[in-house]
Amino acid sequence: MPNNLHAVFGALSDPTRMAIVERLIREGETSAGDLAQPFAMSKPAISRHLRVLEDSGLVAKRINRQFRMFSIQRAAVNEIGDWIEEQRKFWNASFDRLEAVLEQSETKQK
Amino acid sequence: MTNDRTLTLERQLGATPQAVYDAWTKPELLVQWWGPEGLTTPIHDMDVRPNGAWSTTMVNPDGGKHTCSGVYRVLEPPHRLVFTWAWEQDDGNRGPETQVEISLMANESGTLMRLVQGEFDTAETANQHGFGWNSSFNKLETFVG
Repeated sequence: MPNNLHAVFGALSDPTRMAIVERLIREGETSAGDLAQPFAMSKPAISRHLRVLEDSGLVAKRINRQFRMFSIQRAAVNEIGDWIEEQRKFWNASFDRLEAVLEQSETKQK
Repeated sequence: MTNDRTLTLERQLGATPQAVYDAWTKPELLVQWWGPEGLTTPIHDMDVRPNGAWSTTMVNPDGGKHTCSGVYRVLEPPHRLVFTWAWEQDDGNRGPETQVEISLMANESGTLMRLVQGEFDTAETANQHGFGWNSSFNKLETFVG
């Protein structure tokens, strides 16, 4: 389980890497060559992006004969989802209380 | 600022924008509603001015502590408030830094409050020409959801 949200969020803050992640989620395991195809970018540049994604824990690499195969790591994606959900819950619960606090002070004024 | 690419929440409140703004910026008011029901915020330090630091530590009924902190970026009473936000992790480090923008719009029933959270507050993202975590945010939510 990756425990470095910094690295995960950082990895996703780039449009190329985000597109790669989206594709891996949609299509499953894909070779480095296939992943590079939609981009007008050198192979080393794509490799660098894949390396960042791998280091963040968002994707895993497997060597299959001469191919480098990449796949998404569900745990890392879920971790982000959990973070967002926790944050949403925090605010909604806080706002419930804020509503009550404001109502009270309104009543006092009247 | 409202798009589907960030964590956006809205809440209709029966009070003036000024009253809501005060609830965000006056510590004695903020601690009355900060965090889910049952939590208290015994420790807080809010330097409410641009680039002033803020920190709050909430305590569970069972004694568990949660600290979040950040820096005020924009203070425009009574309509707008922007600050950075990060949870302190179990290891004592700050978690991912995000930015929170609160907008308060007067309407006939009081104030429509909008919260938008996203966008990393780091030099790294500042260099990325507007594309940022913002765009990633909702996409990932849809993957997860």
